[in-house]
Amino acid sequence: MASTAPLVVQASLLRRLQKELFGSRVDGLLSIALLAALLAAGLGFFRWALFQAQWAVLGANSTLFAVGRYPVEQQWRLWLLIGLLALATGLSWGLLRAFPGSGGVRALWPRNDHWAAAILAVLALWLPMALHLTPAIKVRWWGIFALLLLARWAAGRYGKAIPQTYRRLFPLLWPLLYLVGMVLISGGLGLVQVPPSEWGGLLLTVLMATFAILLCFPLGVLLALGRRSELPLLRWGSVIYIEFIRGAPLITLLFLGQNILGFLLPGGFSPDRVWRAAWVLTFFAAAYVAEAVRSGLVAVPAGQLEAARSLGLPMPLALVHVVLPQALRVALPATVGQFISLLQDTTLLSLVGLLDLLGTARTVMANPMFLGKNAEVYLVLAILFWSCCVALGLGSRGLETRLNPHSPSAQKA
Amino acid sequence: MISSPALMIEARAVEKWYPNGFHALRGVDLYVHQGEVVVIMGPSGSGKSTFLRTFNALEDFQKGSIVVDGIEISNDLRRIDAIRREVGMVFQQFNLFPHLTVLDNLTLAPVKVRKRPKAEVERQALDLLERVGIVEQAHKFPGQLSGGQQQRVAIARSLCMEPRIMLFDEPTSALDPEMVQEVLAVMQELAREGMTMVVVSHEVRFARQVASRVVLMADGEVVEVAPPQQFFNNPQHERSKQFLSQIS
Ligand SMILES: Nc1ncnc2c1ncn2[C@@H]1O[C@H](COP(=O)(O)OP(=O)(O)O)[C@@H](O)[C@H]1O
Ligand SMILES: [Mg+2]
Repeated sequence: MASTAPLVVQASLLRRLQKELFGSRVDGLLSIALLAALLAAGLGFFRWALFQAQWAVLGANSTLFAVGRYPVEQQWRLWLLIGLLALATGLSWGLLRAFPGSGGVRALWPRNDHWAAAILAVLALWLPMALHLTPAIKVRWWGIFALLLLARWAAGRYGKAIPQTYRRLFPLLWPLLYLVGMVLISGGLGLVQVPPSEWGGLLLTVLMATFAILLCFPLGVLLALGRRSELPLLRWGSVIYIEFIRGAPLITLLFLGQNILGFLLPGGFSPDRVWRAAWVLTFFAAAYVAEAVRSGLVAVPAGQLEAARSLGLPMPLALVHVVLPQALRVALPATVGQFISLLQDTTLLSLVGLLDLLGTARTVMANPMFLGKNAEVYLVLAILFWSCCVALGLGSRGLETRLNPHSPSAQKA
Repeated sequence: MISSPALMIEARAVEKWYPNGFHALRGVDLYVHQGEVVVIMGPSGSGKSTFLRTFNALEDFQKGSIVVDGIEISNDLRRIDAIRREVGMVFQQFNLFPHLTVLDNLTLAPVKVRKRPKAEVERQALDLLERVGIVEQAHKFPGQLSGGQQQRVAIARSLCMEPRIMLFDEPTSALDPEMVQEVLAVMQELAREGMTMVVVSHEVRFARQVASRVVLMADGEVVEVAPPQQFFNNPQHERSKQFLSQIS
């Protein structure tokens, strides 16, 4: 049964395609015309991409796109950070496979992982070549990729041998790494300061997005709880905040933040332009996350809180152990949707004069040497954002199945 | 009874209005002594659930007083949590926590509220599950159990906090007929061991066999309180007769 299932699905898919595309003569003609148009467009695109487009603009500016005007003599700190990230990613990936939750796949190298590793390998080997990076940098990327795979393999193979008490602490590695990363990027603790005004490109975009994502989530949960609180002050405060933010376009809030935060805070405390923008992004996204979480809270039956309270759990414990786990599970897809918009919204930073990916791209295209290379640059930018969003989406799906192996719908199936 | 057992629930002239102005309880009294099983009956909407839920402060009330196990119910949150630790409650819809295994449903409150060591609580939880006859389901999730099994888990979950009083709000009303008996058997066993219980239920056989007294409520008032034999064989009030003729 199980082995023939995919065949059956494929056959019925073919039949359905046939029925939907060529059901009648008109349908058939329309389908053929559409397919021809698609084919022509695709061919045109490939002809352009392979023969006309000049990709040199990317290779020549690869450092600029990656880190902006980050001082060259300090860039080793970023390499170190990337190495640490690869190590942590590999370890987490391997441990996830060694301990696949109750719903996960029980295999050290499931087929999805072959794909992921293969795609990573192609990117790691081919991209540095395609971008004509210097040999030293090429070798660095290959080393980082090897480190990732090695960590993945080692954690998967030997993860079970780690005592449980240490393994429990492992997720703390990520917040720790975030702090280490902040120090490495901005300096301090004996490292030379690199002010935020010198961060740029992908570095700035990723930094802004992760900062806002990490902070807007707890803030959004608190706002959602506040909105359902019985204390009028808290409830109305949350409602007014959420509705005000959701009623204003982000770009106006960004400009407002750039101008107003400087007046509100005394000179020395006024955060740098970059941090101002980061806080505005955070406060903006929090309002939307709050609405996503609220929809999750509504989905939890009132009896759950009553049962928890009647067992003597005080309100905070009842929320943390009973209500929120259920609510957040429901709210997860919508919340990740907000994270994805947030990532895309970081492009607005270029409009308030920050050199994020888009801002960097615009300075590159304004350079007379690379005039008229807009299509190449924008295409790569779009692909970059798209892959980040796909990764977020896949991660959220994985989390959902990992959290939810025993949903009522799963049991009936 | 020579020395009368301690008074566990003492409700005097309790009146409640819902926020929409509905007068749900119109001066009800109830006294429950240690080891008693009081069964509350009455037509739907008569205020049985509302009354029961005032005993562990899931509902507030505006007039009268309620003393549970020596603690007067007031707005003091700490006192309310103290009362809830001593009073277990079983709901019509079970209200098990669907994201936790059966075992974790039982151990959550004792570990987090009473701060007891997890291993010890787990042993006790498995004992309780054994007693209600579902120890083999300990590592499943509530959604994988039948209604009768879920309600028995819910009872065990309450017992794991070692309460001195158990409240039941129509514990068998949401069950398929063939599962009612397994839940009633557990409750009967509990009563035999001397648990103080207040049960909202229309199970006449259970009331006849287990109840110390039967209370009939109608329109937010207590109409009749009597030992079960007297209540079912020789009801004193017109409203009681009318109700009994409807359910039999
Ligand atoms: N939250 C509420 N707001 C307003 N009226 C309510 C609320 N809950 C219950 N009631 C009303 O109070 C009365 C008693 O309800 P309840 O105690 O649930 O009755 P029973 O359990 O005896 O069926 C019913 O008429 C019901 O409509
Ligand atoms: Mg009721």
